[in-house]
This record gives sequence, C-alpha cells and structure tokens, in this order.
Amino acid sequence: MKPSKFSQLSGQEQNWLDDYLDGTIGQDEFSAMQDHMIQSSAFRKVMRRYLSIDHSLEVFSGETEEISPWAQPLSTQVKAPIFRLASLLPIAAAAALAFFLGSLFTKDSAPEDVIATPERSAEGFAVVSALFDAVWRDDKSSRQPGDTLSAEVFTLASGTAEIQFFSGAYMTVEGPAEILLKSAWEAECRNGAVRMKVPPAARGFKLQAPSAEIVDLGTEFGLSVRGGHGEIEVFDGEISVQGRGGKEQFFEKGNAVTVLPSGTVADSQSGIIKFPDARHLKPEADSGRERWQTHRDTLSRDPRLIAYYTFEKNKSQALIPNLAMPRNTDLDGAVILAESATGRWPNVQSALEFRRPGSRVRVNLPGEFPALTFMTWVRIDSLDRQYNALFMGDGYENGEPHWQICDDGKMMLSVMVDDSKQHPQHAKSRFHHVYFSPPIWNLSMSGQWMHLASVYDPAKELVSHFVNGKQISREAIKPDFNVKTLRIGNGEIGNWGQPFREDPSFAIRNLNGRMDEIAIFHEALTEKAIAKLFEESRSNRSH
Amino acid sequence: MADGSDGLSPSMSPSESQSPEDARYEHYVARFVRYEPDLRRFIRSLLPTRTDADDVLQQTALVLWRKFDQYDLNTNFMKWACVVARFEALAYRRKMARDRLVFREDVFELMADEGEEEIRDRQAEHNALEGCLAELPEKQRQLITLAYTPGIKVKEMAEEAGSTAAAFYMRVKRLRHQLLECVEKKIQQQAGQAS
Repeated sequence: MKPSKFSQLSGQEQNWLDDYLDGTIGQDEFSAMQDHMIQSSAFRKVMRRYLSIDHSLEVFSGETEEISPWAQPLSTQVKAPIFRLASLLPIAAAAALAFFLGSLFTKDSAPEDVIATPERSAEGFAVVSALFDAVWRDDKSSRQPGDTLSAEVFTLASGTAEIQFFSGAYMTVEGPAEILLKSAWEAECRNGAVRMKVPPAARGFKLQAPSAEIVDLGTEFGLSVRGGHGEIEVFDGEISVQGRGGKEQFFEKGNAVTVLPSGTVADSQSGIIKFPDARHLKPEADSGRERWQTHRDTLSRDPRLIAYYTFEKNKSQALIPNLAMPRNTDLDGAVILAESATGRWPNVQSALEFRRPGSRVRVNLPGEFPALTFMTWVRIDSLDRQYNALFMGDGYENGEPHWQICDDGKMMLSVMVDDSKQHPQHAKSRFHHVYFSPPIWNLSMSGQWMHLASVYDPAKELVSHFVNGKQISREAIKPDFNVKTLRIGNGEIGNWGQPFREDPSFAIRNLNGRMDEIAIFHEALTEKAIAKLFEESRSNRSH
Repeated sequence: MADGSDGLSPSMSPSESQSPEDARYEHYVARFVRYEPDLRRFIRSLLPTRTDADDVLQQTALVLWRKFDQYDLNTNFMKWACVVARFEALAYRRKMARDRLVFREDVFELMADEGEEEIRDRQAEHNALEGCLAELPEKQRQLITLAYTPGIKVKEMAEEAGSTAAAFYMRVKRLRHQLLECVEKKIQQQAGQAS
C-alpha cells in the first residue's frame, strides 16, 4: 500500500481503524485503541473522517432505513425528492454479487476463464437520447445514442448531447462539458452549458453548480458554468436557487441570475448567454455511415469470409446478397417475415427486425471449415425465448454451429460433436458442449446496439466471446469435444430452422431485436482483428 | 450554515389555509429532511453499526418533533438536533455497553464534541466521495459497493473459502484507503480554488 500523503497513520493505527470498521477488532486491541484515542486528537480526527467515508459507502451501497415518524405528505415547497444514488446501487450490487463472489472464490479448475465484464454497467438511470456532432475526449468517455448512463462523469469535448433521465427530466448538454450524473433526480454541472426541461413528473430535479444548487419546480432553464462562474436563466416556470451558504431564492420565467464562485447569487440580464438548444440540430448520421460503407467494401474483399450480409433496404425485399467477394449468388439469403427497420444510423433502414416469431433469413453455406468466427452488430429489444438465435445451423448435426443468446443474457456458442451419442450428463441431448459467456445483456440495455463476436478455434482448442471488440471470456475445448471439421450448410440468421423438438419453448428462437450486419469467417480471428473490425464498423468514434 | 441560521427562512410558510399546527409540522419536516443525512452521519460516528445508528436516529426524530415548539426558528437546527442526538446516542450506548465495540464514555464525549464542530467537513467529504466513486473503474466501484451492501454475508462466505476471502477484505481495505486519499485530495483542491 502506498504511504498516504495526507492522513498520516502509523501501521498500528491503520490496523486498529480497519479492524474497528470491519467489526473484527479484538477486546484488548479495542481497549488499546481507545487509550490512544484519548491521547491523540490527530488520530481522532482521521478516525472521524474514516467513519464518515465508511458511512457514506453504506449510504451509497444500500438505502439506509427510511425514517418517517410522520404520516402526512411533505409540503410542496420542500418536496425535493430525497432520492439518492443509494436507491439505485443495490440493484447493481446484487447483479454484481454472483459474478464477483464467483470470480473471487472459484478455484482455477473452473473451465471458464472470465476475462472482463462487458464494458459498461448494465444498470442505469438515464439514457443518451440523441447526439449532434458529438466529439468525445477519449475512447472511454465515448457514448452512443441509446446507451444507458449510471453514476458517472459524462464528458463531452464538443457538440451537443441529449440525456433523458428516468425521472423524466431532459438535459441538453453542449460541449465542452463535464457533468457528474448522480441519480435520476440529481446531477452536477461542473463545466459547460446545459438546458434542463423538467416535466411535472420530474419536479424537484436538482442540478448543482460549483457554488449553488438549483431545484427545478417544473420548468425549463439553462445553466452555464465556466471557470466556477455560473449563469442561470429561466425560460419557463420556476426554479429555486441556493448559493453556497446562502438562502434559497425563487426565480420565475424571464429571470436571469449570476452565481459567483463565492456562492453569491446576483441578478443578471436574460438573453446574454446562448444555451444549448437541440431543436434546430440534426442528429449526426452521415459521416459515421460513410465510414461504415468504406469498412463494408473493404471487409467484402476479406479472403477469410465465408459470407457477409448487411441488411440495408434494397429493391428486392426478399433477397439479401452475400457481399463476400468473389460474388457468389448461391450464398444469397432469403428473408422470411423479418422487416426492414432503422439501424444504427437515424432515419436509415439498414437493419432487419426479427420480432415476429417466424422471422428469419435462410442461407445455404456449403463447405467444410477448419474454424469459425461469427460477428454481428445487433440490437436486442428483449430476450423473450429461452434461447434467442443469432445464427443457427438447421437441425443440429455433426460439426454444425449454434450461435445464440440465453434468456439470462449469456452468449452461447456450441458445435454438435456426435449426434449419434447421448450427452454424458443430459439424457435428452446429444454429445455436444455449450460454451457460455458471462451475461452480456439485461433489460436495461434494451435497444442498444452492440457488437458481438464468438470464435470456435479447434487448433488452439479454445472458444472465446467478444463484446464491442473486447474479449470477455474464453473456455478450453476438451479433447473429446473438439470438432476439427466444421460445417454449416442450411442455416438461419435470427431463428432456427428445422428444430428437432416441437416444444415451442425449445423450438421458437427468433431474436426480438434487430441486426444490421453479420459476417462469418472460416478462420479464428484474433482479439486484435476483432477489435479492429469493431472500431472500423462502429457508428461513432472518439477522437 | 456560516451565519448560524439553518438556511430555511421562518417566513417560508405554507399556504394560508393551513392550521398553525400544520404549519409547525411542515417547518419541522422541512428541517428534518434537510439535515437527516448529516444527523445520521453524526450518530453513526459514535456507535458501532448502522443498525444502532438507525435506531437512535428514529428515536431522535421523535424527540425533536415532541420538542419542536421549544425550537427558535431563527437558530441553527442542526446544532439543536445534535444536542438531542448525542443525548439519545449516549442513552443507547449505556443500554448496550456490554457490546465490546462501544466507545467508552470519555472517548464518546470527545468524539461527539469534536464531531459537532465538523458537520460541514463531513458534508464536503461526502460530496467529494461521490466524485471519487464515480471516477473509480467500474469493477472496483462494484467491489466496494458490494462490500457495503447490507445483508451481504461476505464474512460467512469468506470463512468457508479461506484465503481468497482475506484477499477480498484486503482489496476492500485498500480501496477504502484509496478513496480516503482521493477525498482528501479533492477537498484540498477545493480549498486551493476557493482561496
């Protein structure tokens, strides 16, 4: 542990503190610690700070019991909702529980090697509803429309973003901006200009500036923060503003105030500051799409391809051309019931939707392959079926792959090893093995586009799964289960043709969602290659 | 508040139609709601577990309401509430003094005296921590959040699992220490900006 520059604690003091906080301190040590507390005011001071942080962590991690010795409702003036970050975190923590305890306590003998959780947290309290020429500071802060946001610092280098909080409040942010998102009811503008629109249902939304707190009483207002200096203008309705250390003041439509870094609130003139307004902006579309089209044309010439399909609306609704060069029309796909839908670019019908149970794209991909890589851009709306198809070989015969998502959000890739032999553990199934990823999806991610890839690599005896260009898990193929000759033949995108059981929960596997492209390779693509293809095909990019 | 008032003006009154009793009640609720987190934190620093703090806070809320007609609306509510909370915590401490993790009375008094003067420091730390947590990598934030989630029996699992649990605790301690450093850094930066 690094020695602290600030709270100077001896090793003994640090141990006492940790053990006291964890409730594991022994009687004698507790007594010795208290003797020391009487002696050292410095130690007491650090201790109070530690206790305070300990308490804050309790508050953030689980809602402490509600204290309500009264039955009457609060008056409207003070009805700023007391929602805190804490009310949202337990869900995320519970979701993380299995994963963490699993990864901490399982022995190395576990077959699955979980490398990382998917990039972004599944839980959230706000969503990026639109972007206009958004430029991000770095890759890590980059967001796409539809991304859910949780407690985090939202950083926009330039351009405009619209964030919709689950409370109903709408925030338009203009970069450069740095916003700390705290909950569906609270945010802090550290820098930048924002416009808040707060419908009645979100009344009480709190926006903090460096030296003031604004509570929205059902209205529209702007806040601009530059260098610790705040400018507020009320466009409609009423807000309350409280400067640091000052009293709460109310302002109505047409008022403008300045908040000085000291917290002093002073009248100002309206109309001076230009606040962001998304009404006149067009969602970003074309630049990203042109880049994707270049990617598509390059990828088409990739000799590792078995087939490559994109789903832009074309003249022949029923036919999806296989773009892999040299062009072979025998590998074109036939669309059944799946409908054209908006894809990753606003207002462009570049995707197919497999919402109706019979929806599918049928293909025939003959040949034998030494390895398989599947890669797709997909938007999952919900996982309605027990198994939700991405790409499935018809039936499930020797060497044929099934690539799908389980209803618990795990990606699955499996290949039939021997369909004449019974599975050693499962009486009802034949000899095969399913390679699962950790959960990559839950309902809060509904409607988000994501890039998925899975690799079956007989030479390296490895199956791996990827989300947004990053490997998230891999599992060794045991010698008995290794299939060296892979086949596809007749197969389906987004559903399963010719299932071998008639039970609907087993047989119906249409994906409730959209797909925008899918590529199948006869090689095991490396992590680097997958990351590159993800980068080149994504609809937005950071700088 | 610096000026000694509690920042809620006595004239910030409810509508005309309300009875004086309702008005008094609303004044009380407005104040209690505003200071409840600070009060809970103050109590928590004096008692060993969050359940203890919840019990005492509950009791404090009732006593404050019963005595609210003695409270001068122009004075500092938090100061007044601290006096009551401290008394309630002390009474609670005496009842459960056999528990080995309860502070001795002399330590308790010192911590309460000094803690009362640091309410604003506590608020600043809390706010800074929120920022520090947001800056933590996702996985670390989940880990620390998990360790503090009520009802998570990490300890039991730890005992079963042996040394890996010690590793879990070590990581939690390290993260807690890292957060403390981050909080102190942030507070120093803010102090630097203000001056």
